[in-house]
Amino acid sequence: MSKLVEVKNLCVDYITFNGRVRAVSDVSFHINQGEILGLAGESGCGKSTIAYSLMRLHRPPALISEGSIEFEGRDVLAMDDDQLREFRWKETSMVFQSAMNCLNPVKTIEYQFWDIFDAHGLVSSRDESIEKAKELLRIVDIPTERLFDYPHQFSGGMRQRVVIAMALALKPKLLIMDEPTTALDVVVQREILQKVYQLKEQFGFSILFITHDLSLMVELCDRIGIMYSGKLVELAPAKQILSQPLHPYAHGLGDSFPTLHGELQEMKGIPGTPLDLQNVPPGCRFAPRCFKATAACREQEPQLLQANEQRWVACLEPLKIASQAQQPEPLTQSHSEPSETTCAEAL
Amino acid sequence: MKFILSRLGFYLLAFVTAVTINFFLPRMMPGDPIKSFLGRLAMNGGQITPETISALEALYGYSTSTPLWQQFFQYLGSVLAGDWGMSTRFFQPVFEVLGRGMLWTLLLVGTYLIVSYTLTTLLGIYVAWKRGTWTDSVITVGSVVVSSIPSVVMALVMYFIFASNLGWFPTSYAYHPSLDPAFSGEFIGSVAYHLVLPLLCMVALGMGNVMGMRSNMINQLGEDFIVMGWAKGVRDRKVMLHYGARNAILPMITSFAMSVGAIFGGSLIIEIIFNYPGLGQVMFQAMLARDYPLIQGYLLIMTMMVLGANFIADCLLFVLDPRLRTQLD
Repeated sequence: MSKLVEVKNLCVDYITFNGRVRAVSDVSFHINQGEILGLAGESGCGKSTIAYSLMRLHRPPALISEGSIEFEGRDVLAMDDDQLREFRWKETSMVFQSAMNCLNPVKTIEYQFWDIFDAHGLVSSRDESIEKAKELLRIVDIPTERLFDYPHQFSGGMRQRVVIAMALALKPKLLIMDEPTTALDVVVQREILQKVYQLKEQFGFSILFITHDLSLMVELCDRIGIMYSGKLVELAPAKQILSQPLHPYAHGLGDSFPTLHGELQEMKGIPGTPLDLQNVPPGCRFAPRCFKATAACREQEPQLLQANEQRWVACLEPLKIASQAQQPEPLTQSHSEPSETTCAEAL
Repeated sequence: MKFILSRLGFYLLAFVTAVTINFFLPRMMPGDPIKSFLGRLAMNGGQITPETISALEALYGYSTSTPLWQQFFQYLGSVLAGDWGMSTRFFQPVFEVLGRGMLWTLLLVGTYLIVSYTLTTLLGIYVAWKRGTWTDSVITVGSVVVSSIPSVVMALVMYFIFASNLGWFPTSYAYHPSLDPAFSGEFIGSVAYHLVLPLLCMVALGMGNVMGMRSNMINQLGEDFIVMGWAKGVRDRKVMLHYGARNAILPMITSFAMSVGAIFGGSLIIEIIFNYPGLGQVMFQAMLARDYPLIQGYLLIMTMMVLGANFIADCLLFVLDPRLRTQLD
C-alpha cells in the first residue's frame, strides 16, 4: 500500500497571554491509500487540532510551528493561498465535529453544494450543480426534493448525512471525520458509519476517523493512534490496540470501555486528570497517572519508536506482548532526532 | 401573505393602543385647556360669556359637558379623518402644520437611515474581517469616540466650523430661499447641498453602529459553518459576505427598527441647530407654547413612524431569515 498522507513531527501551538501552548507536539504518522486510520484520546489531547492541520484550517491564535505534511508527495504547508484553496475539499474534505452547526443557516442546501462546485470551477451551470447535488443526496439516502430546503428543516442525523454528501462532492482522496457522530444516538450513529464504510469501499478514499469512542473505532478502523496530551503515544492495528496494548495509557483506555461483543467486564478508569499543557513537566507526560512509572519516566521523555513491523509506541516501560518481544527501534531516524531538539527548545 | 396580514393586524392593534393612551393621558391630568384658557382670560379682565365658552369648545373640538367615552370615539373618528385639531400656537390645523415640516424631517431621517446603516454595516463587516489590525483599531476607536460626543455639541461645532466660519455649507433652510420648489436640477441640487451638513452630523453621531455590526460579525466568524466554508475552498470574499455578513446583518435589522424612534427625536435637535425647516423647529415652538394638540399630533406621527419601521424590519427579516419563515408559516 502506498502512503497518501505523511505527517512528520507536527507541532501546533496556540498563542496565549501566558506564552505559547503546544497543543500537538511532535506527532508523526501516515495514512495509506484506502485505509481508515483512527485517532483516539481524551478531550483536548489534540485530535481535532491534527485534523485541522491536515487541511491547514488553523486560524490565529493557532499555528503550525514545526513539522511537515505531505499529501501524495506535495508539501501541504508550502502551498500558497490559491493552491491551498484548490487543495481543500478536492483532495481532503472533512465532516466536522459539529455537523449540526456547520451548515450556513440562511442558505439552502442546494446553494451550499453549488458553492463547492463553483469554488473549484467544476460545473458550467447551476443546473449541472443541482444534478450532481441530487446524485450525492441519493448516495446518502436523502430524498432529492429536500435539496432546496434550509438546514434547520433537517433532523440532526439527516444534516449529518447532508454534510457527508457534501464532503464526498469532489471525490476527495482523504475524508476526515472529526467526531462525526458524537451528537447522535447510537442507532443513527451506526447507520451513518455503515454508510460511510460502504462509500469508502465504493470510492476507495482513505479516512481519518477521530473519536473518543474506542469501541466504535476498533470496529471501523484499520489502524488506531492513541493520543495523550498532544503526543501520539501508540500506533497499532485496530484489533491489537485494546487486546495487546503496549502503552499503559492504551491499556487504561481499554479497561475504561465496555466491549461491544463478548462478556461484560468490570470497567476501570484511569486515575488523575489530563496534563495542563501550559505547564508541561519534564519526562513522560503520562507518568503522573501511570501505574508503571519509574524515576526515569519522570526525567526522560520517551520517543515514538517502532516496536515491530506494524506497531509504534512511546514508552520507556512498554507492556510486554507475549509473542512479540522485539527491541524497539526509532520510527524515523533522520526526522525524529533533530526536530525533537527544536521542539524541546520551544517548550 | 398570512404572515404579513398577521403582522399588519398586530400593528393596527398597537396603533389603536397608542392612540388610546394618547387620548387618555392628558385627560387624566388635572385641569383642561378650556378651563385654563378661561382662567387666563378672567385674570386679564376679559369677559366670559356662554358664547366665549362655545367658541373655545368649537376651537378645541370637544365640549366639557360630553362624557369621556363619547369624546374618545369622537377623537378616534377625527384622527382617522385627518382632523387632528387646531394648533394653539400657529392657529392652523395640526395636520397642515405637521405636514409642512414632516417632508423635510422624513427626507433628513430617511437619507440618514440609508446612508448610516449602509456605511456602518459595511465598515463593521470590514473591521471584523480585519480584526486585530491597525485599520480595525483606528476605525473601532474612532467610531466610538465620534458617536459618544453629545449631539448638541457635535451639531454646534460642525455648524460653527463648516457653515459659519468656513462657509462651505449653508447656515439655514432646506433650499435656497430664492428658489421655488420645482422638479428641476437646480432645486434638487440646492436641497442636497442644504442636506449635507445636518446629515453628516447625524451620520457621525450614529457611527456607534459599527461596533454592533463588528461584534455580530465576529460572533458569526467564530461559527463552524465559516470554517466549513473555508474548508470547502470557497473564496475569502464569498465566505465573508455570504457566510459571515449575511448572518450578521439579521440582528442589525432589529436594532434598526428599535432605533427609529430615537432617531426622530435626535433629528429635532439637529434641525433646530441647523435651522432646518423640519418638525424640529415646529415642535420646539409648540413645546414652548404648550401647544397640546400639536404635540399630540406629533406623538401620533411618531407612533406611526416607529410602527412603520418595525413593520418594514419584520418583512425584511421574513425575507432574509429562512428560520423565521418556517416558524411562522
